Amino acid sequence: MRWFGFGFNAFEQICVHGKVTEDAGSDVKVTCPTELKSHVETSSCCLKKPGEIRASWSRRASLHLDGDSCVCLAGFVTATSVESCGVSGPKTCGCTDAVISEYHLTLTFPGRVEVWDIQKKESTPKWSMEINTQSDHTLKLPLVPGGYITNKPPFYHSLSPCLKAKSLALGAEHALLLCVTGDVYTWGLGSHGQLGHGGLTSEEEPRAVEALCGMPMSSVATGGWHSVCISAGGDLYVWGWNESGQLGLPSQGVRKALQQNQHTQQGNLGQEVKSSEEELQEVEKLKEFFISIQAFPALLDVTPSCEIKAVSCGSRHTAAVTTTGDLYTWGWGEYGQLGHQTLMSSDEPQRVEFFKEQQLRVVEVVCGTWNTFAAAIKEELSCS
Amino acid sequence: MKTSSSVAQLWPQISAALPASEDQFLLLFSDTVESSVLDLLKRSRRHLYSQTSNSSLSLNAQIVLDYSWEKLNTGTWRDVDKEWRRVYSYGCLFKVAALCRGGPSEDELRQAIRTCDMGLLMGAAIMDNILQVIVGILQSQFKKSCEDGDDQGQPEVKRMKTECPLVPVIREELAVPRVKCPSLESFKTNYLLPLKPVVLEGVIDHWPALNQHPWSIDYLRSVAGCRTVPVEVGSRYTDEEWSQTLLTVDEFIDRFISNEDKAKGLGYLAQHQLFDQIPELKEDIRFPDYCCLGEDDEDHITVNAWFGPGGTVSPLHQDPQQNFLAQVVGSKYIRLYSPEHTDKLYPHQSPLLHNTSQVEVESPDTQRFPEFSKAPYLECVLQPGDVLFIPVQHWHYIRSLELSFSITKRAETE
Repeated sequence: MRWFGFGFNAFEQICVHGKVTEDAGSDVKVTCPTELKSHVETSSCCLKKPGEIRASWSRRASLHLDGDSCVCLAGFVTATSVESCGVSGPKTCGCTDAVISEYHLTLTFPGRVEVWDIQKKESTPKWSMEINTQSDHTLKLPLVPGGYITNKPPFYHSLSPCLKAKSLALGAEHALLLCVTGDVYTWGLGSHGQLGHGGLTSEEEPRAVEALCGMPMSSVATGGWHSVCISAGGDLYVWGWNESGQLGLPSQGVRKALQQNQHTQQGNLGQEVKSSEEELQEVEKLKEFFISIQAFPALLDVTPSCEIKAVSCGSRHTAAVTTTGDLYTWGWGEYGQLGHQTLMSSDEPQRVEFFKEQQLRVVEVVCGTWNTFAAAIKEELSCS
Repeated sequence: MKTSSSVAQLWPQISAALPASEDQFLLLFSDTVESSVLDLLKRSRRHLYSQTSNSSLSLNAQIVLDYSWEKLNTGTWRDVDKEWRRVYSYGCLFKVAALCRGGPSEDELRQAIRTCDMGLLMGAAIMDNILQVIVGILQSQFKKSCEDGDDQGQPEVKRMKTECPLVPVIREELAVPRVKCPSLESFKTNYLLPLKPVVLEGVIDHWPALNQHPWSIDYLRSVAGCRTVPVEVGSRYTDEEWSQTLLTVDEFIDRFISNEDKAKGLGYLAQHQLFDQIPELKEDIRFPDYCCLGEDDEDHITVNAWFGPGGTVSPLHQDPQQNFLAQVVGSKYIRLYSPEHTDKLYPHQSPLLHNTSQVEVESPDTQRFPEFSKAPYLECVLQPGDVLFIPVQHWHYIRSLELSFSITKRAETE
């Protein structure tokens, strides 16, 4: 299984900056999926191919969870902790799961969870807590038995056992919980419609997303201000902020930008160009079709006749893997995080052609704030 | 891309406003700002003081802007840490530098002015309010290049539609009392302390805005045409269709004042601290002393501009502070209800709108709101030169009868 990354790379979290070219732009914005290379380090665990990926804005964490498990960090790593595999800074040996944010690396071990401050070089975690891992060892961070861990103090928040939490996704200002029953709950701020209850008000306590009652969900994900979930049948539901088309619904901002781009290109080619006032009027005529905030879940047709297997969100973009091994992306694209070899945003799901062209089957996707990481295996060549 | 010789003077002027060397350019932030972001700010600073290409400076500036923009949109505006607004301003500063360093075209100049305005509107003051200083430099430059004939703007619509506003007849028994130049004592005794509304006449006759520099569309274009301001679009803020957008003053006037197209809806430059953003306009107004009674802290005063076509409506609402509404251009119909009658005014239940009445004052739904017609009120038509005193928590409804420019002054209670 090989991991590929594309999008924001200002801290070399995808690949090292080219030293030859002067083009800062292509260093920072990786528009074409690029294979992740293991670090050129002597530490033995870094030579293994990464097992799982976690990503924040400026970093990427590779989790090696077999044998002597550990976490390796790439990207904005303080100069003195180049050997990031447990020699200095967070001691990750033996961890069972990890989550990374700009401030902290959160690690679970058998029987405890630790939060490390990764902006400083410390030898002990900033905070830790005993957890009872006997009860449910399938829980993934940020869930822990009894509650969940956030990336700001107070770190631990309890959850009612009645909820029967299965997986949890945290956005910039809200939370999306999937229960064992397939029900979905949300809480936090709702001013961008991200709670899915039909309004813009906040919820202090978990509240069931009633529109999805009766339709069991199998997986959930959150972006900065949007929520996504996959139903048991492989359908994708989206709600929240659509300012960059991250819901895959018509976005005025995206259409205007596309028009302006056409405008510039036509101008460059010497073609007759409509006045910007005319174009503006055209876009504004369609105002009622654009969706800026979707406050109730909406079914998104990513691609006809294909089921969605996995989904992940960056702050303002979304990436989904189909059961047939294709990767679709949509939303904010200005750092190349959509992988379509352009810096345009898109309000329609589009397939990342690179994997098809390379005959690779995408099996997993994990988004960082402004980038996307996809795991792929060689497609079995079938006789046609 | 047309450049005139005066553009060559631009970067030296901006450079002079910046710290002389990289060492003197301080980047100090609290722990809220992650070290990764600080790293990018330092990279930008390095690009600014070295001979690197503008594209690197521009790229880093954009990253800082995009990241801080996300922070500014997280949580409620009130809870946004001021540090992120400062970071946003630094991003604007670096972006402006990248635009102006290489002899900017007219379009780049416009972008730079817009960027300064975004920093002034959404950011927080940095380096002795350097963005304000720079936008002043840019505006002078912009005016020069317009005079040079670079401007391809449309010819001014000299004759505006002459408006004959339908002025509501004010019945004497319902009229807000009018007083000409009262003494401070009598104003305090008869109106301020007993919380009684009054229209003060003759108290702003001295304003340059009414005399030496009579405010007009042309004057506003010349002073602020290229500046970006927030505009409310839609009939009233309680409507579903209501939204806010950012336009230059020229665009606002073109779209919502000069060529009034009802299909585009109403646009209102409302509740905006225009005089902080464009200090030149501040010289044209000076609130009389009535407006300072009972206030000892200058810092908590908010002066807002309200500029729009006829037909703009502020729905019936109340504010926790007292207000002085000065009319400069055009006329407004205003109705006032005392807070003792709040129970007949049907305020919205939601926390967001609990200070706003559900009733459409000039065409009330008597079935849904039967008590409303029983609530006594005072009304007036405010003309240029009038100043209306609105006591604290007094409900007020305002409709512009024609092109109108008003200014309000109130004291924050926080």
